[in-house]
Amino acid sequence: MAIRSNLRKYGMFYLMMLPGFLILLVNNYLPMAGIVIAFKSMTYQHSNILLNFVDSEWVGLENFKYLFKTSDAWIITRNTLLYNSLFIVLNLIIPVIFAIMLNELRSKFLARFHQSIIFLPYILSWIVVSYLVYGLLHDKNGFVNTTILPAFGVDPVQWYFKVEAWPYIMPLVNTVKNVGYYMVIYMAAIIGIDDEYYEAATIDGANKWQQIMKITIPLLIPVMIIMTLLQIGRIFYADFGLFYQVPKESGPLFPVTNVIDTYVYRTFIAMGDSGLSSAAGLYQSTVGFILVFLSNWFVRRIDKDSALF
Amino acid sequence: MVKAKKSALVLLMLALALTLALSACGKSDDKEETKKEETTTASTDETKAEDTTKTEPAPAENAAANLKEYKLVFTYPGTPQKDEAVIEEAANKILKEKINATIDLQPIDWTAWEDKVNLLIASREKVDIFFTAQWSKYAVNVGKNAFLDLKPLLEQYGKDITSTLDPVFLDGSKINGINYGVPTDKELAAQGGIVYRKDIADELGIDMSKVKTIADLDAVFATVKAKRPELTPLYLLKGETFDSHYLGNFDALGDTAVPGVILKDSTDTTVKASYDQQRYVDTLKLTRDFFTKGYINSDAATTTTMNTEALKAGNVFAITQSLKPGKAKELETSLGLGGKLEQIELNEKTVSTGETAGSMLAISTTSKDPARAMMFINLLHSDKELNNLLNFGIEGTHYTREGEIITPAAKAADYSPGAAWMFGNQFLNYVFNNEAPDKWDQFRKFNEGPKVSPGLGFVFNSDPVKAEVSAIVNIDRQYQTALETGSVDVDKVLPEYKDKLIKAGVEKIVAEKQKQLNEYLAAK
Amino acid sequence: MEAPVERAPSKPVNSLSPVGDWTIKIIFFIYSALCIFPILLLVMVSLSNESDVIVHGYKFIPTKIDLSAYKFVFSDWESIARAYGVSAFVTVVGTALSLIVMALYAYPISRPDFPQRKFFTFFVFFTMLFNGGLVPWYLIYVRFLHLKDSIWSLILPLVMSAFFVLIIRTFFSTTIPAAIIESAKIDGAGEMRIFFRIVLPLSTPVLATVALFSTLNYWNDWFLSLVFITTEKNYSLQYVMYKTLTNIQYLTQHSDAIAHIGGATKFPSETVRMAMAVVGIGPIIFAYPFFQKYFVKGLTVGAVKG
Repeated sequence: MAIRSNLRKYGMFYLMMLPGFLILLVNNYLPMAGIVIAFKSMTYQHSNILLNFVDSEWVGLENFKYLFKTSDAWIITRNTLLYNSLFIVLNLIIPVIFAIMLNELRSKFLARFHQSIIFLPYILSWIVVSYLVYGLLHDKNGFVNTTILPAFGVDPVQWYFKVEAWPYIMPLVNTVKNVGYYMVIYMAAIIGIDDEYYEAATIDGANKWQQIMKITIPLLIPVMIIMTLLQIGRIFYADFGLFYQVPKESGPLFPVTNVIDTYVYRTFIAMGDSGLSSAAGLYQSTVGFILVFLSNWFVRRIDKDSALF
Repeated sequence: MVKAKKSALVLLMLALALTLALSACGKSDDKEETKKEETTTASTDETKAEDTTKTEPAPAENAAANLKEYKLVFTYPGTPQKDEAVIEEAANKILKEKINATIDLQPIDWTAWEDKVNLLIASREKVDIFFTAQWSKYAVNVGKNAFLDLKPLLEQYGKDITSTLDPVFLDGSKINGINYGVPTDKELAAQGGIVYRKDIADELGIDMSKVKTIADLDAVFATVKAKRPELTPLYLLKGETFDSHYLGNFDALGDTAVPGVILKDSTDTTVKASYDQQRYVDTLKLTRDFFTKGYINSDAATTTTMNTEALKAGNVFAITQSLKPGKAKELETSLGLGGKLEQIELNEKTVSTGETAGSMLAISTTSKDPARAMMFINLLHSDKELNNLLNFGIEGTHYTREGEIITPAAKAADYSPGAAWMFGNQFLNYVFNNEAPDKWDQFRKFNEGPKVSPGLGFVFNSDPVKAEVSAIVNIDRQYQTALETGSVDVDKVLPEYKDKLIKAGVEKIVAEKQKQLNEYLAAK
Repeated sequence: MEAPVERAPSKPVNSLSPVGDWTIKIIFFIYSALCIFPILLLVMVSLSNESDVIVHGYKFIPTKIDLSAYKFVFSDWESIARAYGVSAFVTVVGTALSLIVMALYAYPISRPDFPQRKFFTFFVFFTMLFNGGLVPWYLIYVRFLHLKDSIWSLILPLVMSAFFVLIIRTFFSTTIPAAIIESAKIDGAGEMRIFFRIVLPLSTPVLATVALFSTLNYWNDWFLSLVFITTEKNYSLQYVMYKTLTNIQYLTQHSDAIAHIGGATKFPSETVRMAMAVVGIGPIIFAYPFFQKYFVKGLTVGAVKG
């Protein structure tokens, strides 16, 4: 009876959710069942993938053992975590500074003009960005090698093989691309601050610097926490576009550009090793999952309202 | 209450699962539909092919009639051709009559080939015939059970193959005594060198006849660079370098993706990792020297533009190639560079498993009708009309013919796959007017007197060291191309590469290879 | 909600000293110049002469303007038009579909009286925390849904975004007064009617924001093309640009275009690459002012409403 009344009352709700539910089921939940591939050594004697799956040998943790035996596991974990941590810090500091500075500009027109330009890279795809980087760094024709370095009397550099340079290039590219997005968010938050605070501060004789440090920044902190938390939740997931497109798949750069996402992609697509690739994927999902919980727990202890869940 | 909620959920889930199953079935049909609607420009062949079946049933007396119509999917590396659909349609006419089949040609861009094949195999897509070769992960894919054992099929449906093909080919492509691929009937010996722009060499007054070794090219490239700075003297990329197997005469004994090589032109049967082969290391250094002198395209390590395509684009003077008589002439036609190319051999002519297993057609374990696939391969080896159609297109449209000699026609560029060496029996091919009319005699002569690799006939079975092999594929991706194209400093990077390989177990692979080779040699 | 810059930045009495103002101005001029420079460089190279580029490299000021790269690109305008068509179709259909599917899902879980609210919220939220990885996901699309090389494989994976669903849900539950829904119910309106007539019209700010993000995601996507698409007729614009950058062969195989510029040997590969990029970016730059205005507005809504 209860089923019926529930259905009568909320039947329409189920119908409304059906398309979204199906998509989630197929796009997200069915693949979760597929993670068992990570514990198999896939061979392909049948034409049906399910039969192959059933017939493939269980190898237990073999794929994981193998993953951690090579230095790859360490390198991709290190790269993913270090780059993402750096990105989080840069995406916090620079946009906040930019937002405050832009807000202080006297000319409204100039403020709008700069905001437009700074925001522009955010809407460009990684393909376009990789073109732009290529135009600058191409070793024979790139602008840096043909114009900038000669001006300083420096020999051209083969950027796409220069391992030492990429730990700087990646954060630079990432920051230029994303700074506009965060800046706009922080500007919106600054606009939301009541002018009375500043008026009172001016009357008390506070200078600009004091106003920024004592009013603007403290009031921005909740937004900063939310934006940072959202990124920490994804700290084990790298931006595939950045790491795949911008270094142009250059082999010698792998030690500083290979991240978990590119590794998963390459082991599957290039080596066709579904077991190893799944193992790396499952490693990413699991550790990512734990990190989200840890960071959320941590935030919850400090400030309950800022927690994600 | 709680119970009720749960059961409501279960019910809901069931309903959803059902809809999901239904929608999944429905979707594949939808896809066919949309596909048909979308095909405005290309490949209307599918619908056309279906139409013809409806209108004209196969004649009853035909042998093909007791076979159910079947669509064969054939995938091989090559640039997709504009007139592919037209060729398929013409081929279907022949195939319908003979084996009641239709063909779906699926060429994959050269540089995307290996990755896409991995995906096709891993996702178990329905493919009937794969091109494969010892330099294209033949043994690795056999290890994955991707290809069928061809022995029974060859006996039953491959009579024309076994009767015409030199047994050395079939013997020399066995893995553990089993054939997984049908080798192309072509030249048996192999030689490597460069193909260069003759017109430019003439214009700059370079005497190419003096070039005998790779080192001799230094002066040539220097001249090209000095006089024509807009040209790239030498274009290299992944797998197409002075250290490629066809130039270095390295015999990987079955699969170039698996480390451990012997030299084809030596009698030494000690398997060594390539970093231990002096020739490999010397060539790396020479290539690096060329690179620092600016002879080589600077994006060699990352480009995915095939060398023949780069040559076609016009800014390149020379590329490395695996050679045979008239190779440059073949390329002239397929690249539309008539009269502008010439070739120079830079090493000793050899024969090894690399050649006997150098170009094969394998039948996929996903094929729904392997017998029909073998019938098709059999036709490629015996049916002159079909073979030439797939290689050169339609007479009158893509070429004109006088006896065995053909001339490119106006639309030749719309179908020139340059894949004759992959499709069955090359001795069935017509000869282009720019080629030597006695091409096939030259081929036969070329087959005479090569140095025979001590490993001929042996194909390494990589099964025991499967894990090591796949680790090394990843490491190679990082180092091999960068080193072989001269893009990085050899003295600095080679030790690093070696170190990684050793850590990944290269020595175990080499030892296993040596063990199997020794067993083979002892049995012989 | 107004876009941030449309309000006076600070009270005039409390504005910055001229020195500070100039310092900030200079910093921003330098930064903006750095942002815009690579794009201009691309345009300049595409307008250069091929042999100049090969000899002198990419120069900001071309020695002479040469349009042959564009001539080449447009001699094969059908394939570019086609790629634009694919991208436009995927973006428009994808965004519309995504918006309606997500809103439909978000509405029930925003209703406090819906008993299964928690389960369905968790069902969508969990996808943010955990996933099955590339391999099974790929196999599902290719082997189960048979969507390989289908234009739908470019649409379906991006339809549901857990993050946006939760944002829409929060908006529904915080800004739409429960009283309105109650009174509509008393008037006898069904849930569908309430959703389309009352909830959606009141939610345009959040829907517009999500639509803009969705548009951007679809338009800029190349990964789905990379893994699923095999035939040229389904290439999206981003994928064509990707192919051109890594593999100039994509353009040389169009033999008509080659003939058009006077034979294979005169192919301006360097400048054509850049021209292709300009053709790909161009329309975005033109649409940008409009786009940016709404984007900034939308982000403001998002930031304030959480």
